[in-house]
Amino acid sequence: MDSEQLLAEIREANLTYLMLAQNLIRKDRAEALFRLGMTEEAADLLAMLSTAQLLKIASSNMLLCRFRVDDDLVWNLLTSHNVKKVDNSTTTQLHASILMAGKYAESMATTAH
Amino acid sequence: MATGKSILNESRDIERAVALIQLGARLQVLEYETSLSYERLLRLYKEVAGKSPSKGQLPFSTDWFLTWQPNIHASLFLNIHEYLSKASALEDIDTVIKAFRLYSEQMTASAIEPLLSITRAWRLIKFVDSGMLTLTKCSCCGGRFVTEPYENARHFVCGLCQPPARAGKGSAAGSLRLH
Repeated sequence: MDSEQLLAEIREANLTYLMLAQNLIRKDRAEALFRLGMTEEAADLLAMLSTAQLLKIASSNMLLCRFRVDDDLVWNLLTSHNVKKVDNSTTTQLHASILMAGKYAESMATTAH
Repeated sequence: MATGKSILNESRDIERAVALIQLGARLQVLEYETSLSYERLLRLYKEVAGKSPSKGQLPFSTDWFLTWQPNIHASLFLNIHEYLSKASALEDIDTVIKAFRLYSEQMTASAIEPLLSITRAWRLIKFVDSGMLTLTKCSCCGGRFVTEPYENARHFVCGLCQPPARAGKGSAAGSLRLH
């Protein structure tokens, strides 16, 4: 893949992400904050962007959506690596969901103060 | 909840009541969360659900939420609920409705039978509000799980890090398995 093609793919991924995020925020803001793992401020900014602005922001050599799993334990649960007692993928996924929902609630509480 | 007779409040109450009925809530939940009269709620229920509501008292105690499988479902729901109530300022009942929808979605996505009903979810929030149940951090994975308020947080290990001996042996379709 040459770099021009790479850039085009990054732009496309960015645009898809931004448009999806906008749709989610406009449909139901509270739900969107949970789904996107985004702060209220960021969501408000994103919701106000025009299509022209979206296109401009999407054209970058950096991806705009960030990897959400920043915890080895959650990652291990999602991929079922190094899990000892429980190795059913549905159950470990549920475990990961509990951890992720809890983590974000926690981080939100610390930034609020 | 609504102060005085306002058509706007009433329409919001009806909207909420319809959402709750569609999610399968019992009549007691509707009576508690809206200011609509019993007769109107009954009529609304029949209109939306196409049948009479189930009768009798809400049967649950806090014990149900502490057994292995329900505890995992309840913990997921409560974590989502906490997230929503921290992230945005919603009316309490709207937070419950939204959190329950997100919980159900996840159950559908992972093909698990949703053990928690909207009525139980609502009851759980009431138990938490009145200090009868709380979230305690697991000393092993750091996740927060539904427990009794006097659980010792230093030694608490959740049901997923240390499943009890008979856990995951149920034969019902869509129940959680260990292997």
